[in-house]
Amino acid sequence: MAEADRIAIVTAGVVTPIGQDLDAFWSALVTGASGISRIERFPVDDLRVPRAGEIKKLVRERPEEVSTDCRASRLLIAAADELVAHVGGRPLAADPRRVAVVLGTALGGVEEGERALRGERRPSRLAGAFYDSPARALGQWLGAEGPVLTISTACASGATALGLAADLLRNGAADVAVAGGYDILCRFVMKGFDVLRSLTRDEVRPFDRRRSGLLLGEAAGLVLMERERDAAERGGKCLGYLLGHASASDGSHIAAPDPNGRGLEVSIRGAMSQAGISPEEIEFVSAHGTGTPLNDKIETAVLKRVLGRRAYAVPVNSMKAHTGHTMGAAATLEAIMCLLAWRHGQIPHTLNLEQPDPDCDLDFVSTGPRPCRPRISLSTSLGFGGCNAALVLEGA
Amino acid sequence: MTPGSVAAPRLRATGLLSGWGQGLGALPEDAGAAAAGRAVVSAGRPTLAGDRFRRATRECLLGVVAVEDALKEAGFPRALLAGNGTALLYATASAYGASNRAFIEGAGATTLHFPYTAPSAVPAEVAIEFGITGPYVIFLGGAPATLSALWYAATLLASSACDRALVLAVETFDECADLYARGRWLVGRPLVEAAACALLEPGAGALSYSEGRSRRPARTAAGGVQRRLGEAFACTPLVELGMARAAGAASLDLRLTGVWRGSEAVLHWVEM
Repeated sequence: MAEADRIAIVTAGVVTPIGQDLDAFWSALVTGASGISRIERFPVDDLRVPRAGEIKKLVRERPEEVSTDCRASRLLIAAADELVAHVGGRPLAADPRRVAVVLGTALGGVEEGERALRGERRPSRLAGAFYDSPARALGQWLGAEGPVLTISTACASGATALGLAADLLRNGAADVAVAGGYDILCRFVMKGFDVLRSLTRDEVRPFDRRRSGLLLGEAAGLVLMERERDAAERGGKCLGYLLGHASASDGSHIAAPDPNGRGLEVSIRGAMSQAGISPEEIEFVSAHGTGTPLNDKIETAVLKRVLGRRAYAVPVNSMKAHTGHTMGAAATLEAIMCLLAWRHGQIPHTLNLEQPDPDCDLDFVSTGPRPCRPRISLSTSLGFGGCNAALVLEGA
Repeated sequence: MTPGSVAAPRLRATGLLSGWGQGLGALPEDAGAAAAGRAVVSAGRPTLAGDRFRRATRECLLGVVAVEDALKEAGFPRALLAGNGTALLYATASAYGASNRAFIEGAGATTLHFPYTAPSAVPAEVAIEFGITGPYVIFLGGAPATLSALWYAATLLASSACDRALVLAVETFDECADLYARGRWLVGRPLVEAAACALLEPGAGALSYSEGRSRRPARTAAGGVQRRLGEAFACTPLVELGMARAAGAASLDLRLTGVWRGSEAVLHWVEM
C-alpha cells in the first residue's frame, strides 16, 4: 500500500457495559471485569435467559444536547462525546461537508419500531424505526454534512463500517470519518436469540470445552479516521492505523456460519493482502469468539489454515465474556482493544476460558492479561446471513 | 461536496421485478394514474422452485428473481456468479419492515423466523442461491444507499477485489402499509414494491460519488423515473440505470441523484 493511502485511527470513544470511556473500558478488560447482569430496562421474566451486558446508566449522557429519546442514538452520542473530547470538542476541526459518518448495526432503531407498534403514535417513533435513524441522529449531533452511511452486515457490521470509512477517505469522498458500530438490548433481540436457543444459562466461555452459547450486550464504539498525511499535518498523536480490511459472504446458511469458514477465510486473506502483511507479521488475533460450539471451532480451524505454522505462536483472545456479544458494536470495540493492547503492552485475557477445548488448541490468552506489545493485529467477525469481515490494524 | 472518483464499471445488465410486473417494459407511463388510488402497489410473492424457499420471506424471493432477470438479460450463465469473484452489494430502506413487524407482533416469533428479521437475510438468500462468496456489504437507506453501493462496487472492481459485482436493491411495503400511511409525509406516492439489480464488470470510464446534506424532501429525487415507477426508495437508481441503458446509448453518461432523509447523493457515471 502506498504510504499516502494509509488510514490513521486518530482516537476513539466507547460506551460499554464494562466502562464508558477508553480508560475504564481498558481497565475492565485487563482486570477481567464482567458486564453481565440481569436485564432491568424491560421485562424479561418470560425469557429463558434474562441476562446480558446491559448498561445500567449512561454516564456521559447530555440530555440538554440530545433531542431524541432513542436509546441507540443516545449510546452513539455518548460514545461520540468521548471521541470529540479527545480532539478538542465539537465541532470537529474539518470542513463539515467533508466529514463522513459510517456506522454498522445489526438492529438500527428497531426498538423505536417496537414502541410504535405498541401504540406510541408519535410520528418520530415510526421514522426512528428505520435502521439508519441513529446514524442520522449522530451525524446531526456532530454537525457532519458529508456521507452518512449505515451498514448492516449483522454482527460483522462494526468491522465493515471501518473498512468502508477507510475506502471513503482513500477515494477522496471525505476527509474525516467518524466510524464504528452500535447496538442496544431490547425485547426484539432478546426474544429472537431466546427462541433460537443461542443464549447460555452458564457464563460465556469462548474456546472453553464447556462453552454452551453466547450472551448479548449493548454498546457503541466509534473511531475518528483520517488519511495518515492529514493526521500528520495536524501533528496530533493517533491510536493506530487500519492497514487492510475485507468482507465476504459465506453463501451457505441464513443463520449459521459456513462449517468450513469459507467466507471468514476469504475475508482474512483479503484484509492481509490489502495490508501487505504476511502471516509471520501478525502478532495478535482478536477473535470473534462468541462462545458458541460452532463459531469457536470454525474460527480456530480458519486461523490455522490462514496463519499456517504461525497460528500456534500468535496470541488469540475474545472479549465477548466481558461485555456480552454487542453485535454491531463488537468488531469496533475489538479493533479499539487491539490498538489499546499495543499502547499498554498487554493483551486482555479471555474471561471464563478455564478448560481448553482440544478442538480449539491455539494460544488463547487465559487466566490473566499477558504482557505483550502486538504492533500488528488481526480482528475477525462473523454474523447472521453469512456475513464475514476482517481488519488488519497497526498500533501507533 | 468534493466528489471521490474511481474507474466506472461497465453496466452489463439490469434486472427488475416491481409491482407493475417483470422488467422495464411493465412500467406504466404514469405511476400515479396507474395506481388508481392504491397507496401501495404490491409485487406479491414470487413462486420459486425449491424446498429451501418455503420459509424464505417474500423480499428474499424478490431479490432472487431480480438477479435471475439480470442474468437473463445479459445471457450470463448463473454458474459464473458462484465463488469469490462476485461481489454482492445490497441496499434497502424498508425490506426488513415486514419481518420485523411480524416478529414484534408475535406472528413470526419462531426459531425459523428470527434470522429473517435481519436486513442481511435478503442478500444471504441470494448468496446461497447463486453460491456467491465474494465481497459483501449491506447499505441501509433510500436511493443514496444504492448510489453508495454502486460507488463501492466500482471501487471493488477498480482494485480487482472482484471480477464482477451485483448491486441489488429490494423494497417491500405491503405488510406495513398502515404504518406508511401514518408517516405519509416521509414518502412519495404510490409506494411501489420492487427488486432491482445491476450486473457490473470492470470498465474504463470515470465514476464520481459525493454525498451531503439536502434540504429537499425525504423521498427519492429521480424525476422521470419516479413518474413511471412510483416511490421505490433504494430501487430507483437501478431502474434509472436500466432505463438509460434501454434508451439505446452505446455508453452511459449519466448523473444519478438520490435523496433520503436529509441526505443527497450524486453519482456521475461516464462509461467508456
